[in-house]
Amino acid sequence: MTALNSSGRDIADSILEPVLHPPAASIEMNKVTVRFKTPDGWYTAVKEISLRVKKGEIISLIGHSGCGKSTLMGTISGMVKPSYGEVFANGKTVTGPGPDRGIVFQNYSLLPWLSVYNNIFVAVDAVMNNKSRQEKHELTEHNLKMVNLWQHKDKHPGQLSGGMKQRVAIARAFAINPSILLLDEPFGALDALTKSSMHVELLKLWNLDRREKTIVMVTHDIEEAIFLSDRVVVMNNGPAATIKEIVEVPLDRPRNKKEIVHDPVYMNIHDKLLGLLIDKFSIDDVNDMHV
Amino acid sequence: MAGMFILLGIWALVSKCTKNEIPSPLATWEVFKEVMHHPFQNDPDNKGIGIKLLSSLARVGIGFGLGSLLAIPLGLIMGGSKVIMKVMNPVVQILRPVSPLAWFPLGLAIFQDSPKASIFMIFICSLWPTLINTSFGVAHIPQDHKNVGKAFGFSVWKYITKIVLPFSLPHIITGLRLSIGVAWMVIVAGEMLSGGIGLGNFVWEEGFNGGSTAKILVAIIIIGIVGLLFDKIFTYLQRRFTWSV
Repeated sequence: MTALNSSGRDIADSILEPVLHPPAASIEMNKVTVRFKTPDGWYTAVKEISLRVKKGEIISLIGHSGCGKSTLMGTISGMVKPSYGEVFANGKTVTGPGPDRGIVFQNYSLLPWLSVYNNIFVAVDAVMNNKSRQEKHELTEHNLKMVNLWQHKDKHPGQLSGGMKQRVAIARAFAINPSILLLDEPFGALDALTKSSMHVELLKLWNLDRREKTIVMVTHDIEEAIFLSDRVVVMNNGPAATIKEIVEVPLDRPRNKKEIVHDPVYMNIHDKLLGLLIDKFSIDDVNDMHV
Repeated sequence: MAGMFILLGIWALVSKCTKNEIPSPLATWEVFKEVMHHPFQNDPDNKGIGIKLLSSLARVGIGFGLGSLLAIPLGLIMGGSKVIMKVMNPVVQILRPVSPLAWFPLGLAIFQDSPKASIFMIFICSLWPTLINTSFGVAHIPQDHKNVGKAFGFSVWKYITKIVLPFSLPHIITGLRLSIGVAWMVIVAGEMLSGGIGLGNFVWEEGFNGGSTAKILVAIIIIGIVGLLFDKIFTYLQRRFTWSV
């Protein structure tokens, strides 16, 4: 005799439901391997990476230079094709870039001959086919104002600071209203102060969207990764890089930049990540003299 | 300006050394004023220098204009497609070194008309710098810019108008600047071959048909000034359309 719960369903099935039919992930990678052809033969950047990212989650990909983080994110954005394995975004196989995934590049990639306004407008115009011209202008204005750059709308990228350029790039990615946001070392070129305020701004934008956007970010910066993310994916060194470990960041939101550094949970995670990433913590004068 | 004075000094020196076979700057200035008198007079035997200048400019204008109209689109296609570049590049490299003057007889054979053959000659030699520079520009669009088009799903038209053309424009203008320089140089030589009213013809008359050396120098000065003006115009355009990232 099978036990039934109050709604008449088999209890065993109810328990097994999340396992048998998991909620749709925002991003799903199945054994993704990426290889490139080089003059010296095949170079494997990443090998058999599997990862699931829930909707509205913020995760960071962290690791040493050359470990394939950007390549891996490229398979989600569609700029890179996996050699083996599959990537699903919003339930569909990724075959190329799409309007459901917004990208913020490492080098901003703003078009220098267009004004700030037009850099965003041209992207909105290209992606949002079913909106009227008026609506596209409204979207552009809205997103520019969100990053506080409305008064600079007629300037050209050459007249902007690094932080401002990156805000334009972020506004551009947000403006096409993607469900997934992919950021490739977006704050790497910025000074520490600007970087700090950009973290807060990014979270503000994410909050304004009711925390529905999934964000994947590639970074070198441990503090940045912990402050922003729900989980931090630590990668091994390349070539043929794999995931070393995924570290949970169970810190409540909203997170406060000033206070968080004193939180013992934060400090634990920070130490853990340092330990995962760094082999040597100091140089031993006598023994390493010949290094 | 200092360079100009040095040039004048050397000129005066050469004049002295050749015992005024080469007229001195002062003597040339007198002749210059004389030539510039009634520059637009239109007597059948004695047309003014202004008319001659305009005739030369007109030929250059038509030849250069037609050449650019062909070279720019062709350059865009060549730069955009590796296959087409591979096919067309050898053709370009073989035809480019041919002296423009060698195209004149061909033009004559085709058009049976001297002025048209002149324009044909200008047309051909205006092609190469514009074509080569345009295709270089298109072929070297930075990956960063291409990524924008790819990431935001630009249509082919949007990609061409918002990324390819704006990026290539400074290169195209450089090509045009070089082409107009070549065209202007060639028209003078060409007019010596073809006859017809113009500055080149003026130089021919004075130089080879026993005229005044001073008038040749005047012609040289005028040719030089016009060439300089062309160059300045295109350099200004180039600077205006070059964007820093």
